[in-house]
Amino acid sequence: MEKVLEILEELRPDVDFESETSLVDGGVLDSFDIVALVGELNDEFDIEIKPSDLVPANFNSAQAISALVEKLMDE
Amino acid sequence: MLVYFLFPKKWQQYKWTVLLAASYVFYLWAGVQYVGFILFTTLSTFLDALWMDKVTRSSKDYLRVHKAELSREDKKKYKERVKRKKKLILALALVLNFGILAFLKYAKVLFLGGTGDLLLVLGISFYTFQSMGYLIDVYRDTVPAQRNFFKLALFVSFFPQIVQGPIGIYSSLAEQLYTPHDFDYDRFTDGFLLILWGLFKKMAIADHAYIAINAVTEHYQAYGGTTLLFTVLLYAFQLYMDFSGGIDISRGVARIFGIDLMENFRRPYFSKDISEYWRRWHISLGNWFKNYLFYPLAMSDAFLNVSKKIKKSKFGSTAAGSHIAKVLPTSFASFIVFFMVGIWHGANWKYVAFGVYNGGIIMLAVLLKPVFDGTLKRLHINRDSAPYTVFRIIRTFMLVLVGYVFDVAPTFNEAMMTFRLIFTDQNFKVGYGEISELGLNELTMLYLAACVVFIFIISVIQERHSDTTIRAMLSKKPTIVRWGVVYIGIMAILVFGVYGSGFNAADFVYAQF
Repeated sequence: MEKVLEILEELRPDVDFESETSLVDGGVLDSFDIVALVGELNDEFDIEIKPSDLVPANFNSAQAISALVEKLMDE
Repeated sequence: MLVYFLFPKKWQQYKWTVLLAASYVFYLWAGVQYVGFILFTTLSTFLDALWMDKVTRSSKDYLRVHKAELSREDKKKYKERVKRKKKLILALALVLNFGILAFLKYAKVLFLGGTGDLLLVLGISFYTFQSMGYLIDVYRDTVPAQRNFFKLALFVSFFPQIVQGPIGIYSSLAEQLYTPHDFDYDRFTDGFLLILWGLFKKMAIADHAYIAINAVTEHYQAYGGTTLLFTVLLYAFQLYMDFSGGIDISRGVARIFGIDLMENFRRPYFSKDISEYWRRWHISLGNWFKNYLFYPLAMSDAFLNVSKKIKKSKFGSTAAGSHIAKVLPTSFASFIVFFMVGIWHGANWKYVAFGVYNGGIIMLAVLLKPVFDGTLKRLHINRDSAPYTVFRIIRTFMLVLVGYVFDVAPTFNEAMMTFRLIFTDQNFKVGYGEISELGLNELTMLYLAACVVFIFIISVIQERHSDTTIRAMLSKKPTIVRWGVVYIGIMAILVFGVYGSGFNAADFVYAQF
């Protein structure tokens, strides 16, 4: 979770990721941010996020993103 | 509609067959010769999805049974093999169906000489996109394969959206189609108002403007810069009214049956940059390309590796380098997407230019973002201030107009001529003379100008209350106000609508794509 927050903050220093819960639905992160984020997460956690994982529910909050990362690490 | 709502309670689970029958009646009525195409797409999609589904299930069974014997490595290898197999099955259907679409769109230009489509099959783009989206979802295992051929046939052919979208997504649309809906008075009035609004935009606004635009495109070379500029502006208004009006009618009809189709337009001309415009204009098409082309491309190993390589290089350690590493592959992916959107419009160099233009602008905007931000800072301009926001909206609208020139002009060369004339040949007097000869009298011109103001005001209200709809706001008003609006709406369509022989109100600009 902390590492995820760190990556997010480096990506977009202007957003308060700890409280934001509609990163995708609210239009805070655009598709370019998502792709950059996926690249970072893949490298950092040695996972492979697939296009099918890119549903808003998985990326709306830092919490949801770390949940996705944990799920993929278990696989 | 009566049949649907009076359908016997006993057979509720078959209520959707009424929608399927209505869709096919509508489709056959539009042209018997097209039906083979849609049946082929339905059947190939149906079988292909079942095939992939079978592979997925048997592989899951295999993994479960052999769980103990397989090492992590073995499992990974096995999964890879399954994935490759599914990919091939998916590719088979994609190549077949997009092949048909491409063949019909390009064969005439490439092989026979001539322009335009070989055969214009009603709604082929929209049902092909919708079916292929479903197949990719089955491939990704995010939706189960549909086991009832007729249910899938309804998803592919649902009549309100077959002509020009919106392109539905299986996970949000399919269940709505199959669930039986009872008649609901509020939903009926809501849908009815939406249909009225759509008819008004289409028949009482867009069809007037079409007369003048058509007059110009028929003798394109005869007009000066002033008229061409006027035409492009009018086209921006006409296309938006025609396309969004048609979508409103579709959504209204579906709404009466209890089915919510996705929004396809959100005041696109208020966008502050081109990428926002493409998120607010023809939203369902944008979503399709984002989910099924942009993300897979941008997230593919090849693209992500380029990004990594730049980052690791000497250049990548500089500020500019790290920015480029982050956005170059992604912006290239978006460039490819716009290129595809462009050539999907038809076999014509002007559409290639349209794609390259839009993709190019977005690519440059993203790559040069630090430069722009730095310049603003140095000029002490606040990005979020009202004047700067207005500036951005106007600038974006002008960039959109440039794109429309490729649409209006019959050929690429004439599009180039248009740009030249708009900048070098402005003569108000000549223009006024030409424009008054385009088939619209002064009163209609004034009326259209009033419509622009009217739509602008409505759009501002919608923008301020984006969490609700004007219809929902209306429903809270007294009965007399609501009936007044309905009455005025119907009268406006009857009085201002364009009718007459040779004028088919069912011709939508986008139906031809």
